Amino acid sequence: MELNVHDQEYMHSGHVACPGCGAAIAMRFLLKALGDKTIVVLPACCWSIIAGPYPQSTLDVPVIHSAFETGGAVASGVRAALDTKGDTDTTVVTWAGDGGTFDIGFQALSGAVERNENFIYVCYDNEAYMNTGIQRSSSTPYGAWTTTTPGAQWKKMRKKNIVEALVAHRIPYAATANIAFPEDLVKKVQKAKAIEGSRFLHIFASCPTGWRIPSESSIKVARMAVQTNIFPLYEVEEGLKYTINYRPKEYPVREYFKLQGRFKHLTDEDLQFIQEMVDEDWTLLLRKAGEHV
Amino acid sequence: MKRVVEGSQAVAEAVRLARVEVISAYPITPQTHIVEFLSEYCANGTLDARFLRVESEHSALAALIGTVSTGVRAFTATSGQGLALMHELLHWAAGARLPIVMAEVNRALAPGWNIWVDQTDSLAQRDTGWMQMYCENSQEVIDTVLMAYRLGEQVNLPVMVVLDAFFLSHTYEPVDVPAQELADRFLPPFDPKFLLDTQNPCAFGPLVPPNAYMEMRHSIAVGMDQALARFPAVEDEFEDIFGRRYGAVDAVHCDDAEIILVTSGTITSTTREVIKALRARGEHVGLLKVKLFRPFPLEEIRRTLQTAQKVAVIDRNFSFGASGIFAQEIRAALCNTVDTPPVFGYIAGLGGRDVTREIIEEIYTNTKHNEVPEKESIWVGLQEV
Amino acid sequence: MTAKAENKTGEFLLLPCTSMSTESNLTGSWRFMKPRYEEKTAPCSAACPAGEDIGRIEMLVTQGLFKEAWDTILRENPFPAVCGRVCYHPCENNCNRGEFDEAIAIHSLERFLADTASKNEFKPSIDLRPARDERIAIIGAGPGGLATAYFLALLGYPCDVFESTSATGGVLRWGIPLYRLPLAVLEGEIARIEALGVTIHTGRHITSDFLKTAHERYNAVFVGCGHSKSRKLGIDGEDLDGLEEGIRFLEKIRRGDLPAVEGTVAVIGGGNTAVDVARSAVRLGGKSVLVYRRRREDMPAFEHEVEMALEEGVELRQLLAPVEVKQTENGYTLVVRSMKVVGEDEDGRAAIEPVGETTEELTVQKVFKAIGEEPAENWYNPPLKRQNVMRLNHSVLVHEPRRPAVVFGGDLTSRIKSVVHAVASGKEAAIALDVLFREGADAIRARLKSCAVGGGAALSMEAYMDGLRKNRSHHTVRYEEINTDYFQTTSRVTQPRLLIGERIGSFKEIDLKISANLAIKEAERCFNCGLCNQCDNCYLFCPDLAVCRDESSQGRHINYDYCKGCGLCVVECPRNAMILEEEGQ
Repeated sequence: MELNVHDQEYMHSGHVACPGCGAAIAMRFLLKALGDKTIVVLPACCWSIIAGPYPQSTLDVPVIHSAFETGGAVASGVRAALDTKGDTDTTVVTWAGDGGTFDIGFQALSGAVERNENFIYVCYDNEAYMNTGIQRSSSTPYGAWTTTTPGAQWKKMRKKNIVEALVAHRIPYAATANIAFPEDLVKKVQKAKAIEGSRFLHIFASCPTGWRIPSESSIKVARMAVQTNIFPLYEVEEGLKYTINYRPKEYPVREYFKLQGRFKHLTDEDLQFIQEMVDEDWTLLLRKAGEHV
Repeated sequence: MKRVVEGSQAVAEAVRLARVEVISAYPITPQTHIVEFLSEYCANGTLDARFLRVESEHSALAALIGTVSTGVRAFTATSGQGLALMHELLHWAAGARLPIVMAEVNRALAPGWNIWVDQTDSLAQRDTGWMQMYCENSQEVIDTVLMAYRLGEQVNLPVMVVLDAFFLSHTYEPVDVPAQELADRFLPPFDPKFLLDTQNPCAFGPLVPPNAYMEMRHSIAVGMDQALARFPAVEDEFEDIFGRRYGAVDAVHCDDAEIILVTSGTITSTTREVIKALRARGEHVGLLKVKLFRPFPLEEIRRTLQTAQKVAVIDRNFSFGASGIFAQEIRAALCNTVDTPPVFGYIAGLGGRDVTREIIEEIYTNTKHNEVPEKESIWVGLQEV
Repeated sequence: MTAKAENKTGEFLLLPCTSMSTESNLTGSWRFMKPRYEEKTAPCSAACPAGEDIGRIEMLVTQGLFKEAWDTILRENPFPAVCGRVCYHPCENNCNRGEFDEAIAIHSLERFLADTASKNEFKPSIDLRPARDERIAIIGAGPGGLATAYFLALLGYPCDVFESTSATGGVLRWGIPLYRLPLAVLEGEIARIEALGVTIHTGRHITSDFLKTAHERYNAVFVGCGHSKSRKLGIDGEDLDGLEEGIRFLEKIRRGDLPAVEGTVAVIGGGNTAVDVARSAVRLGGKSVLVYRRRREDMPAFEHEVEMALEEGVELRQLLAPVEVKQTENGYTLVVRSMKVVGEDEDGRAAIEPVGETTEELTVQKVFKAIGEEPAENWYNPPLKRQNVMRLNHSVLVHEPRRPAVVFGGDLTSRIKSVVHAVASGKEAAIALDVLFREGADAIRARLKSCAVGGGAALSMEAYMDGLRKNRSHHTVRYEEINTDYFQTTSRVTQPRLLIGERIGSFKEIDLKISANLAIKEAERCFNCGLCNQCDNCYLFCPDLAVCRDESSQGRHINYDYCKGCGLCVVECPRNAMILEEEGQ
């Protein structure tokens, strides 16, 4: 793989992420792309724990842990302080899970990007409140089991489209990324770093524990999400210009769902319904990207 | 120099003099004028600061936690519901040992909507680790904001400067707005002991297991003790430069008082008048104004009240299921002394209801004519509504 | 940065702030599965009778290390330039990439490396063992004998090679036409073997008496005389002038006679010799008809040779068996009978029967017979008895006490008669003799097994000589074990050839060179099954940063203090160069 970054690590071994944790991989790539002039704002999420218990820190950059819903707000404050001190080099990054982005943290995120605060907000998405024990979030996909959508009450709401919600704020840059596509991820982080204003990255980060997949399948499952059009790789500039970054193989959604225990209750009928939803979303995305369908 | 300013502007002037560099606030009546003055100061260059127009009070305080963690002096203001919304982060700011200063305009909590003075909002936050200083007039507000930065930055704890809704926030008073050089002499630049620094990276606020958490809480307690111990010295410095001091408490005619009335906020200035009148009539009455509520000036209060025969506390607040909060704390202060005077607790003025001289006199009379309080809390002036 | 700071009163300020990394937490204790690097056998290298380390060769090509790649071939095969032209490449049939899109053009790449070596005058850099005392005589300087001499030279043994004809090469010179293998190429390969100290005596015909006195000078003899006698058809007219042995015809051409061929000639047979005869006749002006008694798919000749023959205008008459040759006024008549397939015989070939009694007559100028060859003298055949006779995969070793060991190899003992099988038998013979001399006959089978590629029939001299290859697991990587997510379909390189018109006018070499650029592109298609090509997937995907780069030959190691055994590295290795085992094994 050609990552086009300095061969430098900003993360230590010895952290307590689950074996195969996609969030750990995502952070590693993020920091390799951003470098050491970075301050991480870390609202409550799995990484609050992965970041290390007192007095240990997993990361070699400054981190400010923050309350669950404050990712966008604390970053705004850090940025204001840095600007006051005349520091224009340091990047402020909020590193939040789907809970702290889609749900409880949405207000602060929306507020911050509406003000076009100069920071990068990264949501690493494992599609549930994993840190507190796999409860559903508005990022949990249609069809998933979670501890709060168990049995027959599996989630029958669509996954919230967070990128589109932020694109509606007309922010300078929004993009999806995926741990199975590190070159694309790194490129997008580097691109985001060079832009001023609010930048949003939505990173797909598999969770073996919560998705009921073997730990060695994290990357494979993440890759399959892209190949089945469930998680397309695209970016939106200025809330207007859509670019699809990768042409997936367009496997049927079944190929993705069959790999994961959290979906094992779905029938063929359910999968057909999901396939239609995915196809519809993909068509919509193609249209936004200017392709005739 | 002396100017007639609205209480809200007094706050803004103090923030200017303190050379605050980042302000983050969300409007709520009756704090709005503070925010508007500060916006204007930032826009016209009177104050060289960044103003974050956040989308809620919770985010306002969250932003400042970020700002002060990065080593820059910051300010916010709120009131009532806004303070309640900040609750979670009040704990956070104190636990993170960040010397944030906030102007808190005492306002009643909903429901029903009530924008007028009531102390329950600030007192409900008395456990958060924030220092609380209650002000009687706009001069005290300006002075207290400056002292708050000085003291807060010494002990690394946040400070709430509390002022009554409308009676202070929207009242115009003549106030000495000090010169910037004097303010600079009193308040040096913020020199943080720790901050987010890419040259020296560490993580703030990580998981702290049982084996270390208690020690950190103890450190906050120690910080509060240090604040209490240092407050007189800060006032010494202040007095040297500006010629004014207030004391953690202000004891008026307490030495020979048989009954001491305990007040805070603007009720105090009315009570001063009542005390004058009563004493003129030969009543042995005194007044203890509580300015510093957190840290609680236990020794001073105990010493001052111990000698009285009775204590009457006027609470413009209430802790449901218990009693008025100042009364609670006073009773606790007196409990380990010999010969403690009975403490009469009076609840008055909630939701902006006026506490008149007559009411205060009534409180005095009631106290005088009862050996012991007939009830733990006496609600004054309840009507048919 | 400490979490405790003095404030101005001199008392401690203790806040939640970190002061060290997480490295004291050894998460390796969590592990119940353990990954490690283990190189495995690529199916191409197991299928190659010479056991060439093909996966690594192609990897070196992608890195532009053509000399190193060429050296890697030489460790297992002295004839890259020959095989790169005439081998039937069983490697490609077993290539895992074939299940993904198209097999790697291994044959073309081998040719490319040989061409590059020749152009740049590479000198081999391969290991040689110290000189040994035992001397070995080798009878026959064909591919079998020459390969044996080569491998024995690597192992430190001086060899004398005796060749009955006037020049070396055996079937490579006398049998294979120039348009497949130019003379300069062959001579270059043989010169390299001689440079190792092998002495070749041409024009020396060895009789069976040699074995009686061999013990005076030699500790072992390799019999690599090959099959140089044409089999008889057993039909009337066999001895007519017009019925010529195919291999003699080819030999004549190589000696410089270029007999003109007029009219139509019939070539009886379906092997490479028959096809070579047919195509050579075309080049000499004639029209060729191949007459074969079975079907095209049964022909032992290499498929691409048959295809090219047909392109060049050779006619193929299937299911026709010869009955008789009659001389006529202006030529000959070949009488043939139709055959039909009635099942399979015990060798797996089509069983055939005549169709009725009717015959057909073909009018030709000449008839060539090329139905196979056999040893010219009886004593070339390995003895049938059992005692002191070891039948190995590619050769037969006779080790009687107080007599020199005799090894029979090459076409004499290979079921498939090809150059690469000859190389395989030479290697096996050399190793068997080396073990015999050092440890005794009882150790031979075990030692051969220990250097078997993928545990199969091919041997690795590199493994035998204690090279890194000996550490490779015998597990042969299957297509399902390749992580094809990391590959895109790409088309295979096409080695250019002379156009048909250009071909049939002369004996010029047909296959042309490919460029380094194309070679590298083609080599990049190789999965490198089971071998680590330093792609760094393991290093980049480890969530625990437990894969550490280092200066070792592997290039990285796993830090087991932190490895949680999640297995991501193993799954994301595109080429199955790692293994995940239960902890504690």
